[in-house]
Amino acid sequence: MSLPVKPEVYVNDVDAHVFHTRWEKKSNVRPVRTPTAADMDDDVLTTLKILIIGESGVGKSSLLLRFTDDTFDPELAATIGVDFKVKTISVDGNKAKLAIWDTAGQERFRTLTPSYYRGAQGVILVYDVTRRDTFSKLDNWLNELETYCTRNDLVKMLVGNKIDKENHEVDRSEGLKFARKHSMLFIEASAKTRDGVQCAFEELVEKIIQTPGLWESETQGRGVRLSDQQQGGGGSCGGYCSLV
Amino acid sequence: MESSDHEVCPSEGCKDRVGLVSEDGKNSKSVVCQRCSSKVLSPGSAQFTEKELFLPFMRKKTGIVEAKGIVDGDTLTAHWLVDDMYTFENVGFTKDVGKVKYLICADCEIGPIGWHCLDDKKSFYVALERVSHV
Repeated sequence: MSLPVKPEVYVNDVDAHVFHTRWEKKSNVRPVRTPTAADMDDDVLTTLKILIIGESGVGKSSLLLRFTDDTFDPELAATIGVDFKVKTISVDGNKAKLAIWDTAGQERFRTLTPSYYRGAQGVILVYDVTRRDTFSKLDNWLNELETYCTRNDLVKMLVGNKIDKENHEVDRSEGLKFARKHSMLFIEASAKTRDGVQCAFEELVEKIIQTPGLWESETQGRGVRLSDQQQGGGGSCGGYCSLV
Repeated sequence: MESSDHEVCPSEGCKDRVGLVSEDGKNSKSVVCQRCSSKVLSPGSAQFTEKELFLPFMRKKTGIVEAKGIVDGDTLTAHWLVDDMYTFENVGFTKDVGKVKYLICADCEIGPIGWHCLDDKKSFYVALERVSHV
């Protein structure tokens, strides 16, 4: 089982590319890969720890819900609170299992502990495009990440959430500029309409996978070897990617 | 684990169990959320087991965790057991309730569909009655 060698897609004139879906992007940009034996079985690529952080009320938890149209009541989850989720995601035909940790409101009290950050390979940093204060606080969150994260090659994605709402206080170019400055992936999203949400997770995972040092050690003991064909330069891209 | 459906099929919902448990005691079908069909377990990934576990009702919105500790629910005995949380395709964990974390659907968050005790880090139970099999 090996990863396909992929072209660098995080180009600097990314604005020129409008990717509505990951699949469109895949067919347009990626070479078609010959199916291998690895495609036949359900081997799991790796397990990754992903954090979702940002100010209260920006919609972090709803990014993790498939249904956010108020059809369903969250019931038990709302009463007790969700700690974390295991989700399986497909990246180039390989499965990756994500352990996704939401701060679940703890950020309100600034009680996020170092253990929350420990070992994380990816971070989704969320702000609300209708509330500038949530955008202004991003620097604080980045500082906290730098303080507590045990890896310096952590992959970060910035998500401008709630674009379905009116009265935006932070426009897209500001988000993009901030993401570029801090070498983050960038996407605008609406958990309400699901725009971009799936894409966000897939892009983040893809970027982590292109950064071999982040996950190679995680696969040991699971009987999966993937690193042989990974390009050395794949992980050093400090670029950003816009998906909306 | 006994190999025939008859052997592994005791108390509740006996008829429903036929066809769900394979000869080696594993789940022969995918385990999915009853409400949103989110995939919880792939076929053959979990072991059928019996253990009496109390799970609060899924549908009732109040009373799950009462201030006085009174909780409405069922004692269920038929479960799928896995020993590693990454065996799950998709699952959510609630915060701790005492020494227990309840398992919920990762996508629509209905639950509890299962049970995990912090004292036994290698046991994750999903109640057959709380999920669908496809």
